[in-house]
Amino acid sequence: MDLNGDGFVDILSGSYSRHDPNMAGLFQVLYGTQDGTFKKPVALNGADGEPLILPGSKKNVTDMICTRPFACDLDGDGKLDIVAGNFSGSFGFFKGTGKGKFEAKATWLEAGGNKMTVPAHSDPFLIDWDGDGDLDLLSGSSSGGAFLFPNRGSKNAFEFGPMQTLLAAGAQRMPFGDKPKFGDAHIKTPQHGTRVWADDVDGDGKLDLLIGDQLTLQHLADGVDAATAAEKMVSWEKRQKKLFESMQSDDPKAQEAFQKNYEALQKERKEFVVDETTGFVWLMRQK
Amino acid sequence: MISSTILLSLAMLPQGPRVESPQPESPQFHAPVRLKAGDDYIKVEAPGYAAPCYYDVDGDGHKDLIVGQFKGGKMHVFKGTKSGTFQKGDWLKAEGDIAEVPGVW
Repeated sequence: MDLNGDGFVDILSGSYSRHDPNMAGLFQVLYGTQDGTFKKPVALNGADGEPLILPGSKKNVTDMICTRPFACDLDGDGKLDIVAGNFSGSFGFFKGTGKGKFEAKATWLEAGGNKMTVPAHSDPFLIDWDGDGDLDLLSGSSSGGAFLFPNRGSKNAFEFGPMQTLLAAGAQRMPFGDKPKFGDAHIKTPQHGTRVWADDVDGDGKLDLLIGDQLTLQHLADGVDAATAAEKMVSWEKRQKKLFESMQSDDPKAQEAFQKNYEALQKERKEFVVDETTGFVWLMRQK
Repeated sequence: MISSTILLSLAMLPQGPRVESPQPESPQFHAPVRLKAGDDYIKVEAPGYAAPCYYDVDGDGHKDLIVGQFKGGKMHVFKGTKSGTFQKGDWLKAEGDIAEVPGVW
């Protein structure tokens, strides 16, 4: 489908901030062209001619930071609407007015009278997940996992039910006391910061999930074997934990000492382990 | 419409939502499979946040994988093959240059 109805597929993206004090993330469109290429991104405007922005204020600025806008005809009037996720984890609904235009003000989607939320970084993807003819809402979250808000209304009158978990959130980051693991072979499931897509990838007639994530891997530093690195890591984590426990936040001298010790610890850590922060893409085939 | 997600870092976690889970009719899934392009796992630049989109963007009849990332607001395109695998990727271009969504750090 294409956003402006010109027959060419477009790309719609969220963005963190337009670098102004309000931290409002804009919806960016890369319009497709006849030869299959794309134009450079431009901000998507509302019916008032101003860039579409999720509702918010300085008090709740994270509501305005857009993580993902998703275009679909949620209310069944034949015009594309936009459901947009944000940093806070809620979902804004911009009603479409046709040909890629949208009302300037959004309303928050609700389920059972409560604002729909996931544990931050909402990630709307709408599809008829349960095959009842209306659009259901899938989402990842900052904590990981994949979630479903089933549409219990109809194609022309959406009404979302409470959130269901399709995939539990990922493990906690860097748990103290766990045996250190290096490389990526032990990573068997999506981790944090999940982004979802659904399609029948394997062609068996059931919708599958494609999930992107975010994680930090630990690699052995050059010349260091796994046993040595593990031993040093356990010792290092104990000392870091002790350092944090000893921090005196209201004493400038203690703060200075803390900072010095913290930096020394970080430098020491790099002697036996190297971090790599990245994200993978996973396929979860539905049975 | 391709909807590519650009993502945010760090936590400011609000109170958790009300959850109905698990449901008796909850779908069941095979174990997750980490996807590859060619012989290598698909992965994005630091600080991560891979955002997949599965769509036949080049119109050759095989769905491709477009993966957005936080760094630079860039997207990688991995062309799909007849067998369902993905070829090594390249950055998505816009007007001849690597496409960069502004406002993503």
